[in-house]
Amino acid sequence: MTIDVLAFATSPRRHGNSETLLDWVLAAMEREGETAVEKIVVPEVDIRPCRGCNACEMLNRCVQRDDMDYIHDRIIAADCIILASPIYCMGLAAQAKVLVDRAQVFRSRKYVLHLPVVPPERKGKRVGIFLSTAGQTWDYVFDAAIPSVKCFFNVIDIGKKDVRYLMVNGVDEKGAITRHPTAMRDAETLAGEVITGLREAGVV
Amino acid sequence: MSEPVKVLGISGSPRRHGNTETLLDAVLEGGREAGAGVEKIVLRSLDYASCRGCNACHRTGVCIIQDDLTPVFEKIAAADVLAVASPIYSMGITAELKGLIDRSQYIWARKFILKNLYFTTEHMRRHKGIFISTAGLGWENVFDAAFPAITAFFNTTGFEYWDNVIVNNLDHYGGIAEHPTALAEGRAKGQEVVGLLQKMQASRDTEA
Repeated sequence: MTIDVLAFATSPRRHGNSETLLDWVLAAMEREGETAVEKIVVPEVDIRPCRGCNACEMLNRCVQRDDMDYIHDRIIAADCIILASPIYCMGLAAQAKVLVDRAQVFRSRKYVLHLPVVPPERKGKRVGIFLSTAGQTWDYVFDAAIPSVKCFFNVIDIGKKDVRYLMVNGVDEKGAITRHPTAMRDAETLAGEVITGLREAGVV
Repeated sequence: MSEPVKVLGISGSPRRHGNTETLLDAVLEGGREAGAGVEKIVLRSLDYASCRGCNACHRTGVCIIQDDLTPVFEKIAAADVLAVASPIYSMGITAELKGLIDRSQYIWARKFILKNLYFTTEHMRRHKGIFISTAGLGWENVFDAAFPAITAFFNTTGFEYWDNVIVNNLDHYGGIAEHPTALAEGRAKGQEVVGLLQKMQASRDTEA
């Protein structure tokens, strides 16, 4: 058995600050052993925006056929789901918001159709992580992104107490995060705590 | 005699003629009744890419992406009133509208990095931004996380964030058409903002 980690790098800039933060978490998780990591680079796959058609409220699936078909199944299978996004204009990057909006099919399943998203025995045994970076130094720069993040994890059946956050402000140009005094250590600590927690919950 | 006030409406809803676009239409209709020239842009019918975060605009002040948003930004620059509309999806604005807002980075770069663009207080006073939104949920706080991105967008593009036309709890009412006051209020808001700018133009014409 392995712990199944599914990570979304949503920044349009490859190997920038938010993806680097994500890579540190993923590398630390792999070092823990018994962990399989998959990173999806959202700007490089085909995920189209939600059309707001509400068909999923009846069909229990999205009418659009794109890479979200695969991602949908992976979201259900994963034990740990990580969303990494930079802050653009005081919110999630548009690329991240596309993914979050397409989780509407899970909302319909949960709140309209009243069907389970994951089997009851897996509830409370899944963890969500939100990783973010912002160029601005304001301490409130992440505030407006968090409600959408909470929505995302809520509809995929990861409860509030099972969502962890690591958000680093004041990192703007590419590579700035590597000079941050604590970000790398914080990422590794977080990774260790999450994997330990999943082991204790009996995932492996 | 001044030019008519120009009102630009931008619909960020993926759904045509749904609650949000209908509310935007009411605001635009009010503006038209007050004598403004009105145009509406529907983002879902355009073909555009999201910001690539390449920061080339930090050096050049120009976006390297040329697509359907290029003329949209020209229209924004020419408008007196910018009415930006999005439903609330997952506690935020839609990905479509966020895609537009993120692409305004080149204007931000011109203002704050290259410092070759500056909006005077007088410019801001004469350019009004209105945020139009609807939500199915009745929560009081359902719009809160949308405001900061809208504030940033109006600031960047040189519009004073004048007012909101926002309506929640539409799942309860069964849609905007069933809401007792929303469309009338939207229309009144459109008339009010155009009237306000006309008065400013008139006083400037008198001075001149």
